[in-house]
Amino acid sequence: MGTFGEYIKSALASIRNNKGRSFLTMLGIIIGISAVITVLIIGDGMKATVNSEMDSIGATTISVSLDDTKTDKTFTREQIDQIESSISRIFGISPTVNVFGSVKGRKGSYDVYVSGGKPAAENSSGVTIVHGRYYGDSDVDDAKNVLVISQTMSNLVFGYEEAVGNTVELTANDLTQEFTVIGIREDTPMDMAYSSFGDEAMVLAEGPYTSVCESFNFDVDNMITGFTMYLDNEDKQAVLAQTRAVVENIMGLRGENAVKISSGAGFDQTTNAILDIITSVVAIIAAISLLVGGIGVMNIMTVSVTERTREIGIRKSLGARTSSILTQFLAEAAILTFVGGIIGIIFGLTVSFIICKVVGFSFTVNPALVAIVVAISTAIGLFFGIYPAKRAADLDPIEALRTE
Amino acid sequence: MKKLVEIKDVSKIYNPGENEVRALSHVNLTIGEGEFVAIIGQSGSGKSTLMNMLGCLDTPTSGKYFLHGQDVSHMSDDEQSDIRNREIGFIFQGFNLIPSLTALENVELPLIYRGVSKKERLRLANAALNSVGLEKRKTHKPSEMSGGQQQRVAIARAIAQAPPILLADEPTGNLDTHSTKEIIRIIKRLYHEGRTVIIITHDPGIAKQAKRIITISDGMIQSDIKNPEYKDEI
Repeated sequence: MGTFGEYIKSALASIRNNKGRSFLTMLGIIIGISAVITVLIIGDGMKATVNSEMDSIGATTISVSLDDTKTDKTFTREQIDQIESSISRIFGISPTVNVFGSVKGRKGSYDVYVSGGKPAAENSSGVTIVHGRYYGDSDVDDAKNVLVISQTMSNLVFGYEEAVGNTVELTANDLTQEFTVIGIREDTPMDMAYSSFGDEAMVLAEGPYTSVCESFNFDVDNMITGFTMYLDNEDKQAVLAQTRAVVENIMGLRGENAVKISSGAGFDQTTNAILDIITSVVAIIAAISLLVGGIGVMNIMTVSVTERTREIGIRKSLGARTSSILTQFLAEAAILTFVGGIIGIIFGLTVSFIICKVVGFSFTVNPALVAIVVAISTAIGLFFGIYPAKRAADLDPIEALRTE
Repeated sequence: MKKLVEIKDVSKIYNPGENEVRALSHVNLTIGEGEFVAIIGQSGSGKSTLMNMLGCLDTPTSGKYFLHGQDVSHMSDDEQSDIRNREIGFIFQGFNLIPSLTALENVELPLIYRGVSKKERLRLANAALNSVGLEKRKTHKPSEMSGGQQQRVAIARAIAQAPPILLADEPTGNLDTHSTKEIIRIIKRLYHEGRTVIIITHDPGIAKQAKRIITISDGMIQSDIKNPEYKDEI
């Protein structure tokens, strides 16, 4: 029916005829919508700012492993190197071959836990070299028997901290091999904890996984089921997207869903979740003012219907159906809140822009948010317009014509 | 003469029960196409109830109302709206124009509810306003016009979509002598153009302008006569 446009027109005319009152009605909606918009945009800005600060913190890790319920395959040395060179924007990857055994130096013997890996493991949190160097690619390639040990281990095994160049005997798997210390790293809380057990103390050391395997007779090509990737936090999403395809390709596991990738429930995700909760709570409070605005619309529309009872009677006597009257008044309420919504958005954007600039948050506007808010404010008009519009539509024409 | 309005044994009772008010009591009435009828009665006589019934604003408690042969006595609100829109042009004592709309927009209203296209609507509304001599007042709002002019707008609105019946309720009740003459002249002309005109009034001076006079009191028709004084000139 082309008459719908006519109802809109007459709704507009009636809004124009009551400019002052229409504006006051809209004011509630304007305040509600701009409050919601402001809260959501500032929330987004806060999140973006916190995230970019966390991205600048630096290295993060991603764990990749093969699901042993889906495949029997393991990573070979060659495949590990191939994967490392195929994924761009990472510092490197490192498998972990852990060996538990004993270490013997000049000052005594201790239980030892050796982590065999690749040089990228230097990016693990807490690794800071204080003397010498970390093991490098050539140490891995040539399977050199070299070790990086903690300050605690150096003190216990050698009696002093700067033991670079000294050798120790490592015993594990019933085999004893000589290893040369090439680097001393700062203690981590873990070192302190393990070394505090007196005679039962355990020390921690790291070395090339190739030499660990060769020394203690592990079959390096048939035991590695996972590795850790080291990368800059900023590149995490891009790397995550790329990793599965690369690993599946190289391992010949396409379509088998056998590669498990875990970026861990990192600090940033927890923080984002908390920020989201805060934003939604404040947005709900702001939405209450929107509700109050909606009730204002209902109020004014009810008054308007009462004032225009005679007009409604005239329209009915001229052949207006119940639905025509209903549409006219619903359109009036919806237009009021739609226009109020638009003004509220402009106002809210301005306020949030100023606040973001002052506080130093980044200011971004999601167009979908704007569209949703416009839709919601119009829906509020329709919802709160139903009661007064129904009252108008159900008026008895004889009674309505009789009112002055 | 074809029957246009046929009321059979119609009663209307308000507040059924002990304090019931019998506004109409077993009324029978037939009006043919192209008649010019005045229904005269004092206030409380039941003439307003009869007018609401004739105008399909109300339904009878008992009895039947046939309009154009169609039983309209037990219709839904929307069906009644459609019948009013198609069959009846109302002219009210208080003009009943919508104050926020211009003369032209007021005349367009029933055409909008009928779903007439914008172009056709403007043509019909302009023609109707021209026929009541308001060519120059089309963009005026009711508050900017005299009572006589407002009633002419109301007449234009009533005839714009050419309904078979013109139902005028005290059409001159709010007008001065000069405007009264003017309005009566227009109504007579519309009758001459072939429309069925029913005037409801308490004023014998107005009633005697019609060709047939029906007197109503206590909800019953007391007399139904051909007006001996009727003058055919406009």
